Amino acid sequence: MDELKMDDRLTRPTVPMDPVRKTGDGDGPKAPDVTRPDSRSILDRMKKVDPKTAERYRQRSGQ
Amino acid sequence: MIGIETEYGIWVEGKGAQDLVAEATYLVQGCPPPCIAGKWDYSREHPRRDVRGFTVSQLSIDPSDAQFEQRGAPHSTDIEVRADRVLPSGARLYNDHGHPEFSTPECTSLTELIAHDRAGETWMQTLAERRSKKLGGTPVALYKNNTDFHGASYGTHESYLFARNIPFDDVIQSLLPFFVTRQIFAGAGKVGSENGAPDANFQLSQRADFFSAIASVDTLYNRPIINTRDEPHADARRFRRLHVICGDANFCEVATLLKCGTTLLLLRLLEQGWRPDPSLVALADPVAAVKQISADQSLKWQVKRASGGSIGAVDIQRVYLLAAREKLTGLSPETDLVLAEWKDVLDKLESDPLGLSDTLDWAAKYALLNEFREAEGLSWSDPYLKSLDLEYHNVDPGAGLYLALEQEGRVRRIVTDADVQIALKNPPAGSPRAIARGIAACRFPEAVQSVTWSRMSLTDGDQTRKVALARLGEADPLVVTEALADVHTPAALVAALDGLLGAGEDPEED
Repeated sequence: MDELKMDDRLTRPTVPMDPVRKTGDGDGPKAPDVTRPDSRSILDRMKKVDPKTAERYRQRSGQ
Repeated sequence: MIGIETEYGIWVEGKGAQDLVAEATYLVQGCPPPCIAGKWDYSREHPRRDVRGFTVSQLSIDPSDAQFEQRGAPHSTDIEVRADRVLPSGARLYNDHGHPEFSTPECTSLTELIAHDRAGETWMQTLAERRSKKLGGTPVALYKNNTDFHGASYGTHESYLFARNIPFDDVIQSLLPFFVTRQIFAGAGKVGSENGAPDANFQLSQRADFFSAIASVDTLYNRPIINTRDEPHADARRFRRLHVICGDANFCEVATLLKCGTTLLLLRLLEQGWRPDPSLVALADPVAAVKQISADQSLKWQVKRASGGSIGAVDIQRVYLLAAREKLTGLSPETDLVLAEWKDVLDKLESDPLGLSDTLDWAAKYALLNEFREAEGLSWSDPYLKSLDLEYHNVDPGAGLYLALEQEGRVRRIVTDADVQIALKNPPAGSPRAIARGIAACRFPEAVQSVTWSRMSLTDGDQTRKVALARLGEADPLVVTEALADVHTPAALVAALDGLLGAGEDPEED
């Protein structure tokens, strides 16, 4: 069990593995396009939440 | 090796719980290429095998969930319904019991683990947007949480590979008080209670109401604090995988660091032969204590000890911290980071627990909701509060309340947005298994005939070649990365791995 010794490996240079190393190409996930809100907008965000959302939210039992 | 698997809650406007197996399937099927599609080999999985030396005939199923089976909706056991995908990062995405699940690739550092766990949120939001677009704009939301507030829970599980020669009863007895009390820093917070639990305004844990046993192989119902599934996904002669099912889904990166980092340190202590003194930490009723700590509105978290009297959850955690500091300090920078955060957080939990709103999910959620509740004159029993609780977990950066806190810089980070971007499409640099799997998923996914965590089967012309990923577990990741850098065919991958590993048996070969 050396996993907690292995974080030093992260500091080593890694060989680029194109096309794996490309980011943001095609239809895959990209960085969220979100401007930085302020405290007021968090409050606004909370006020936009439908108070009944949780009542309607039903899920399958998972693991 | 460490990993986190998260079953996400799914909401599609106009759809009910009976539709969610299909909806989760459609969602996962919307995963963009490159990826390995529908090739997961379930014949290699053994969720009913118990570490105590037996295999149960079936796992318990929630009777209230069984109603959906009777209506004809499958319980996602068919491979088409599972809609498995393996991503270029080596991660797995699939439909598990009506929930889209993101399993990080195997990681060998906590920072990589956190980056990949956070990348899972972005993957889920991407899939939600693609599904919504396909439905002509119908709202689709995904929640990184563990309850629907109506008695249905779904899991966020952790996996830790550790030495098999530790008697599992030692693991249970040693770690039970730790898992019961870990929620004081790892809980994601929940408004109200469910599943027959006593009333509570606000709880530490999303999952506490759902545990009814100390240890068992079940995961769907009668859930245990310690899961005894024996499925190492590695050389079973040498390793066990501790499959932890009692945790919550975390956004706060320090909470994830502590949740997984402290658990990892304790496994290392067990491997060194350390065992806690049961007279100090053993609990009179561990299952009751999980619920009691979670719902304790006083935030004192006192529970009854088996040896008599009571003890605080913080003090139990301090017993483990003390041993870890004594025996593991200096082991690595990450070890020291975990030890320092663990101590700081325990100190603050004792002196000013609500002051941890920039560090822990339950405290962040409590501060946000309580401020709103007081400003709007709402009681904790107002259904609005549960809706806000749910929105804390929304992975949409334009809607999620945790993500709003993060965008404002009001929560502490362990990784950067750039780290998360890299984790979206790249395997963890320290994990040879994930690197090999990710290369196959990115460069020749159509050649993959079957894949699991520990092996792949590839076609190359008329030949089928097996890759024993389990043998790569202890290879040097830099050497593996360099050897596979220019691999662009299945034959080249197999040849490169053969060159690295030489001849040897697949430790998982039947």
